[in-house]
Amino acid sequence: MTTPATTDKALLEKDRRAFLLVWIALSAATVLAWLLAPGEPESSADLGWGPAAAIVLLGLVKCRLIIRYFMEVRHAPRWLQTATDAWLAVLWITLLGIYLFWPGSQ
Amino acid sequence: MTGTATRGTPRRSPDRDRRLPGDIDMWVMVLGDLFFFGCYFVTYMVFRALSVEEFSAAQRHLNIGIGVTNTVILLTSSVFAALGVIAVREGALKKAERLLLATGACGVLFTLLKVHEWHSEITQGYTIQDEFFSFYYVLTGVHLAHLVLGLLILGIAVRELRDPRGRRPGIIEQSVLFWHMIDLLWVVIFAILYLMR
Repeated sequence: MTTPATTDKALLEKDRRAFLLVWIALSAATVLAWLLAPGEPESSADLGWGPAAAIVLLGLVKCRLIIRYFMEVRHAPRWLQTATDAWLAVLWITLLGIYLFWPGSQ
Repeated sequence: MTGTATRGTPRRSPDRDRRLPGDIDMWVMVLGDLFFFGCYFVTYMVFRALSVEEFSAAQRHLNIGIGVTNTVILLTSSVFAALGVIAVREGALKKAERLLLATGACGVLFTLLKVHEWHSEITQGYTIQDEFFSFYYVLTGVHLAHLVLGLLILGIAVRELRDPRGRRPGIIEQSVLFWHMIDLLWVVIFAILYLMR
């Protein structure tokens, strides 16, 4: 197999470390978001705006880490970075807006 | 590369020139999928807002522990896949194959847990007659269909690695890109179905 002539072992090693750190951050963010959510079926508490915003923020950060690092968009052309960031921002802001501000939703 | 050379002014080797990971065809599919899933996520949230009490009560019957476990499983599968691409670039093809197989194993584990979760919910009487659960089964079902397709694509990538006449890095990148999209979509599904209740 012909590897790209531009392959640089040091850069690949750097990427490997970055991927492992991102994986740790993603897993930690998942557990943190779980702790923010209300408890088991007997719990009747709704999310307040604070935990809801925190869960959305954690979700957005997780998605961006996956896109930027795992999907390698951080080295991609700018149009793709803009398109994926726009999707993330529009989606998560809309979801949070509906959750918090739709009449009667809270 | 020397450490001092990179301080302050990050070096841009040719490898770091801006380039499209995978290829444009896969990105059209990924961006299209993200758009349509995004529309569906927003639709779900509007329906939830219209019947917030009913949705919130139904959401509390989901097993959040399984949701968290499945999220970590998919995140782990994604890091295996990403490391697999690095292994391909290094020319370590056997290692790449093992990493892609580990990715697939995580996908199978996710599927088994999801089927167990569905079975448990259906036997408790939570079916599509409930509005929340109709969204739940469709969202998680369409996602699982993508995951099964992802497993098939991973299989093609492994076959490519085993074929001495093949072994095109682009094919591996495309396969892994699709897999990351499955992980990405699950992160949103997990948040809106399991956490935002």
